[in-house]
Amino acid sequence: MLETNETGAGKSPMIVVDGLRKSLRTGATTVEILKGIDFTIERGEFAAIMGASGSGKSTLLGLLAGLDNPTSGNVHLNGTAISYLPEDKLAQLRGRTIGFVFQSYQLIPTLTALENVLLPYELNDATGNRKTGLERARQLLESVGLTARLDHYPVQLSGGEQQRVALARAFILRPPIVLADEPTGNLDTNNGQAVLDLLLSLNHAEGTTLVLVTHDPALAAHAARVITLRDGLVVGDAHQVPSTAHL
Amino acid sequence: MASLSYSTASRIAARELRASRGKFVFVILSVAIGVAALTGVRGFSSSFRSMLLLRARSIMAADLSAKTTRQPTPQEQVGLDKIAVTGVQETQVAELMSMASSTTSLDPLLVSLKAVDPTKYPFYGDVILAPAMPVSQALTPDTVAVGDDLLLRLHLKIGDSIKLGNRAYRITATVEEEPDRLSGSFAAGPRVLLSHDALASSGLLAAGSHASRRYLFKLPSVKTTTARSDEDVAALKSQLETLLPEAQVNDYREANPALTKGLDGATGLLSLMSLVALVLGAVGVAMAMRAHLQQRLDSIAIMKSLGARSGEIMKIYLFQTLLLGLAGGLLGVVLGIGVQLVFPLFLAKLLHITPDFRLDPRSYAVGLGAGLLTTLLFTLPPLLDIRGVRPILILRRAVEISDDPFATRLARKLRGSLAQIGAIALILGGLAFLAARVSDSRQVGGFFAAGLVVVLLVLLAMSALTLYLLRFFLSRTRLHLPSAVRHGLSNLYRPGNPSAALLAALGLGVMQIVTVYIAQRSVVQEMQISTAANLPNIFLIDISTDEVAGVRAVLAHQPGVHGAPEIIPVVSSRLVVIDGVPASQLKLQHMPRRMLQSLSLTWAPSADTPPGGDKVIHGDWWTAQQSAASAQHPLVAVERMEADRLGIKPGQQMTFAAQDTQFTATVAAIYEADSRHVFSRAEFVFPAPVLAGLPVVWYGGVHCDTAATEPLLRALYQSFPTITVINVAATLETVRQVILQITYVIQFLAAFSIFAGIVILASSIAGTRYRRIREVVVLKTLGATRPRIATIFSIEFAVLGLVAGFVGLIFANILARLILLRVIHFDYHFQPWMDLGAWLATAALTVAAGWLASHRILGQKPLEVLREE
Repeated sequence: MLETNETGAGKSPMIVVDGLRKSLRTGATTVEILKGIDFTIERGEFAAIMGASGSGKSTLLGLLAGLDNPTSGNVHLNGTAISYLPEDKLAQLRGRTIGFVFQSYQLIPTLTALENVLLPYELNDATGNRKTGLERARQLLESVGLTARLDHYPVQLSGGEQQRVALARAFILRPPIVLADEPTGNLDTNNGQAVLDLLLSLNHAEGTTLVLVTHDPALAAHAARVITLRDGLVVGDAHQVPSTAHL
Repeated sequence: MASLSYSTASRIAARELRASRGKFVFVILSVAIGVAALTGVRGFSSSFRSMLLLRARSIMAADLSAKTTRQPTPQEQVGLDKIAVTGVQETQVAELMSMASSTTSLDPLLVSLKAVDPTKYPFYGDVILAPAMPVSQALTPDTVAVGDDLLLRLHLKIGDSIKLGNRAYRITATVEEEPDRLSGSFAAGPRVLLSHDALASSGLLAAGSHASRRYLFKLPSVKTTTARSDEDVAALKSQLETLLPEAQVNDYREANPALTKGLDGATGLLSLMSLVALVLGAVGVAMAMRAHLQQRLDSIAIMKSLGARSGEIMKIYLFQTLLLGLAGGLLGVVLGIGVQLVFPLFLAKLLHITPDFRLDPRSYAVGLGAGLLTTLLFTLPPLLDIRGVRPILILRRAVEISDDPFATRLARKLRGSLAQIGAIALILGGLAFLAARVSDSRQVGGFFAAGLVVVLLVLLAMSALTLYLLRFFLSRTRLHLPSAVRHGLSNLYRPGNPSAALLAALGLGVMQIVTVYIAQRSVVQEMQISTAANLPNIFLIDISTDEVAGVRAVLAHQPGVHGAPEIIPVVSSRLVVIDGVPASQLKLQHMPRRMLQSLSLTWAPSADTPPGGDKVIHGDWWTAQQSAASAQHPLVAVERMEADRLGIKPGQQMTFAAQDTQFTATVAAIYEADSRHVFSRAEFVFPAPVLAGLPVVWYGGVHCDTAATEPLLRALYQSFPTITVINVAATLETVRQVILQITYVIQFLAAFSIFAGIVILASSIAGTRYRRIREVVVLKTLGATRPRIATIFSIEFAVLGLVAGFVGLIFANILARLILLRVIHFDYHFQPWMDLGAWLATAALTVAAGWLASHRILGQKPLEVLREE
């Protein structure tokens, strides 16, 4: 298992992307989405991946999470090459290493908020103490301000609330990496800001490596590093001072 | 407001079909399997049944026979002529006992003469002569055909002459088989078959001769759909009973009850199977279309937000449904023809029969129409749901959850779905119409349609209750359950989850499949009993008391003879008085009065149980004590048909006279004889002491392999030349074969419908997989392995299967019981182990189908799905 909770940037790379290519075949035509991507993200770093719609940023994020196989190249997470692992190995690795936040929340509709947050714990922590997990789930939901909504089903929650549940879910296993795909994309400004604040503060508190995909420069401004994609290639990679300090 | 043109609607419909071809394979297959089963089962069974019915009729050689002892009165003749005008053919068979002798030796021999019209007799079946020749060639005014035992006894050969009455006849052939041997009289003496002209010139028909006459009737052109012609037979029967009040009128169905029962059972079952096939196909379609529309909710919402009205969108999906129904129906007809062509090949191998097969375009049109109609009918509710889709869906994928009490929600739902209720009514009406068209047994159709409605309602209620209970259970236990179990159970009521519909479909399917299974099993079992190989097929007439032991000894040592022979005592007697009414004044129903002069009485071998093959239907059989006391208090049991003719009920007093002895017995019971045991030949059974001391002859019956009858007949003749031996082995073997064939066909077709049903249900379950893709992806992203996801789904499917199986099985037993007892009159047996097995099998198959269906989505890369978001 990968070591969690190692804070402090610059010690050793957490994510290494190496010559990553991805093409999709639809019918007779082949579309090259990623045309050879290389970068390294350090432990504890907060990087934003920016690009216009269709630049390949979501595909890149998916490959970082092992949600698909690249056409060539590889992704190393904490020293492990993940791109060609068998499906179930990948699933386990994902569960323990990565917290994922989707644009459209992706909660399981038949489970309550609390159960949704607890789900990764149950799926991955086979030996785990249920009580510990439950306590952490409650605590996380409290930290995102949903104490009163523990037993609500996703359909009974607003979009912002659903995304807060998703945030709590992403952090429950204290994953070393959190990947977020336009986490505020479906939310209004206020809710978006609240979710972003929560994401950053959780990230700060847990000391995770955070990779955020967005097309929104205002969002990217919060990151310490911005990687810009265009037509499947990295066209910019800049370190910056995050625009606001977060608690 | 401009509306969507038909060409645009059909273009969109066609595009969608092309876009998700894989999914629609299920729909097309469901329709195709349903239609194939329908056309295949119907086409095959109708041609097979018409063949069997011809065989059943051959046992009587006619559709109807009227037995009488005298010539028709002029008035009756007018009536008979009137019947002939309607196209009914009629011929007479006269049977009498007489003496025959060789023209050289003049040793007389008692023979049983049978005079027929060689140009008409027999209407069904064949008289088999050796050497082979048509009846009309063998029987001229100067020739006869005889049983080979006559040749043996009189030391004659074919070409020699015998003397009958006052003239001689040349023997042209021996009679090997007469189709109606079983329904004719079992008189003593070898057979002599001759024409009416020949009989007339013998002078034997002088006034007062004891000839019995049978009028045989054949209805004009027997149609293949026999329900109609059976009605005609029944109509003619009652017409004849009025016209010839003295005559004993029977139809072919009564000639061999076991065979007729088998045919009736088969008819009912085959109707049931056709219906089952049809409805299962429809269920498959409904489930698939529901799943499809569920997936298209987004497109529908988008179209609505662009200004499309519900009607226009429904047009698109109506087109799709029509295309699918048509494709499925056509494929089904092709498959059905295949079924019809392949089954006979199997049967020809197994049973050595080749029913004649017509490819009947009309039945295919019916199949195609039924397929199209059911598809449309069953797609109506999901189509109507389109009206409820709101454009907001594209903005917020949410399902409203209301906290209103259940009743309020229900009332609102009902108000909001008047159209759905209308659709359901339409479906039921359509089904009833189809059931009436498809089913040859209206009663089966009725029970089936009613059963369907009740079961659907109960299933929906049950599924609502189950889901409610589950939810309650989960809210209590929630976090204490293992997470896979909890998750699996929660999935059952996911918003938009078709649990209720799937439960209903599965339960309905299980009910139908198991009903077919139970019913066919019961029919087959009972028919197999009735074809038991050891029933008598050789009858011995006029055995004297001294000869009984010897006959038993010969039979015991003869190869090919099975089991102990049934040898029954017969006391010949007259009926004198019933309850004080003298025989000459009795009101008889369809019985020549002269028959009262020669009744056959027997006694039961056991002191307190009916003889083999007899079943008490009214009153009680006597006890051992009553039997012991019967010399003082005589009792009698009367065969049902005889009791009907004489108007007898238990408790009445009957006085008999045998030679000089008169005795009065109380009627203890009315029994039904199965006409397969020798005891069926006697109409009155007494306790042994009643008949003690009266003159007795014995009748015997034994089962002998058809191939071994020849040596047996010779052995019997050598030792007991005066005993008449009637060989019906060939006829009974025909009956046995036909019944066996029916059971095979039933089993074949039942297996086919059950298989088709399982395939359709499996594909309904499989149809739900598209809805799971997203969930699988999210679970995978969160670190769930495939076994873990499979476990969650298995729990969900297992619960579905168990609940649906439970309800389905209960109703299957109820429905099967109704159909067996009420409609086709077979026994119903509750089989707990079979039910348990079926229950578990349902759960196992549901899980297996779920697995198979989920297999591919489990292997899918999460990103492929997420990218589509």
